[in-house]
Amino acid sequence: MSQSRETERESEAATEVPHDRHRAGEPVVSLDGVARRYGEEAVFEDVSIDARPGETLAIIGPSGAGKSTLLRMFGLFEPPDEGRVRVDDIDVWTVGERERLAARRRVGTVFQEANLFDASVQRNVAYGLHVRRRWPERLRESLRRFVRTDPPEAVRDALSTVGLADAATRDADSLSGGEAQRVAFARALAYDPDVLLLDEPTSDLDPRNTAVLENAVETARDSGMAVVMATHDMHQAERVADRVAVLLDGGLVEVGPAERLFENPDDPRTRKFVDGDLVY
Amino acid sequence: MTPTVAALVEATLALATVDSGSAADVVASAAPLLVEFPFQRNYITSIVRVSLYVSLTAVALATLASVPVALLVGFVDFPGKRLVVAVINTGMGFPSVVVGLLVLVLVSNQGPLGPLDLVFTKEAMIMSQFVLAWPVITGVSLAAVTSVEDGVRDAARAMGGTRVDVALVTVKEARYGIVTGVLAGVGRAISEVGSVFIVGGNIASADGTSITRTLTTAIQLEARQGRFETAMVLGAILLVLVLGVNAIVLRLGDQRGGR
Repeated sequence: MSQSRETERESEAATEVPHDRHRAGEPVVSLDGVARRYGEEAVFEDVSIDARPGETLAIIGPSGAGKSTLLRMFGLFEPPDEGRVRVDDIDVWTVGERERLAARRRVGTVFQEANLFDASVQRNVAYGLHVRRRWPERLRESLRRFVRTDPPEAVRDALSTVGLADAATRDADSLSGGEAQRVAFARALAYDPDVLLLDEPTSDLDPRNTAVLENAVETARDSGMAVVMATHDMHQAERVADRVAVLLDGGLVEVGPAERLFENPDDPRTRKFVDGDLVY
Repeated sequence: MTPTVAALVEATLALATVDSGSAADVVASAAPLLVEFPFQRNYITSIVRVSLYVSLTAVALATLASVPVALLVGFVDFPGKRLVVAVINTGMGFPSVVVGLLVLVLVSNQGPLGPLDLVFTKEAMIMSQFVLAWPVITGVSLAAVTSVEDGVRDAARAMGGTRVDVALVTVKEARYGIVTGVLAGVGRAISEVGSVFIVGGNIASADGTSITRTLTTAIQLEARQGRFETAMVLGAILLVLVLGVNAIVLRLGDQRGGR
């Protein structure tokens, strides 16, 4: 099979996942005037932006602008030095650990590196489902694995989305870099999060694997997920994003629809950055 | 079949069918053997049993106490953390006779555990081997858990894992290193002589079975009394056990390296 045919097959597989999602149009995660400082130096300040269901938001900016840090705030990994992070109407850094965990479980994250566990693909993808079970149920599931090896439906669906339906029983160590990243993507999809965060997910991938993941992003967005992607690849942002936020000079200089922002940005710094004239 | 091999087979069959009291006579009559067996069969088996019981129990308990400490020291900042690391590192090379002495003071009549009457018991030996094995297992486990990439723990957290879930993932990822630490602890415990001699007393009962006599203390006793054949047999058994443990460690290392 030629490479393009294979990509096409995998892309077709990406559209097979059924979703039955009912969400309000309100933002799921909102950052409200957040800031991050290292000592006296501010990485960014007064950043307000939200993740909306059924929309892909791309955060673009040069290296060191704080894109990954902003994404970590979306993922409730770390609190801001200033400002608030809200999931629905809950200010997550003012509530208890239990409530914050419940909020975090509505978010899926794909990192720049796959960070797979030393286990089978199936175990990796099922992990999010596994930790959501109560302990007796986990134990029963672990015992069941001795007699039944077929993956749960959610795992099969997630793997189909990234074109790796046949890889469930493979060892994570046997995967190529591209396959590993696709499994990492499936792992974030398997528990059907409301928000999907992607931190430069294709920066180390070849065009074929990049195409598969971009199709999967589209599928996730179409299913109603709020997708937030940090990328320095402006072509990719143009291809997949509905809305783009430009993080420059310690803050958001512009947020707007992708088409408008790339063709006719309001801020001259955005124009320079998009045209590649802004050197850092 | 050569006469020597035939004699060995005959001796083995005889050992399997006669009582232990006459076994030594049967073996002694089966000449020419390379090593004579001037001991009762129960003597050897009971020593091996005591050695394994004491060492494996001590290592099992030390493992249960080591892994949580390794996780705590590896990933939680607290006052005195450097001191704990220094204690672990020092403990890895702690002289076993000093450990034996400290445990003896602890369990002696005047010590805080005196009422428990533990002097010259297997339990006291387990305590001393626990003290010897714990720093080894903790030190190796600490190195193993801290070598797990932050990204893997982040991934577990990102997928909704609680602190316990993240800790379990870390232990699972570091499992080869932790098992290596456990096996190193077994090696340290089973080949140790000073502390078990002090707290166990190297006691055998009148019928020749071991009460607190281990392979190492028995070797020392047999060699001192000039029964070199017995000491050699005990030494060979100890060597096989330690080599077996090291073979497992090497095998695990190969598996880890090949992944």
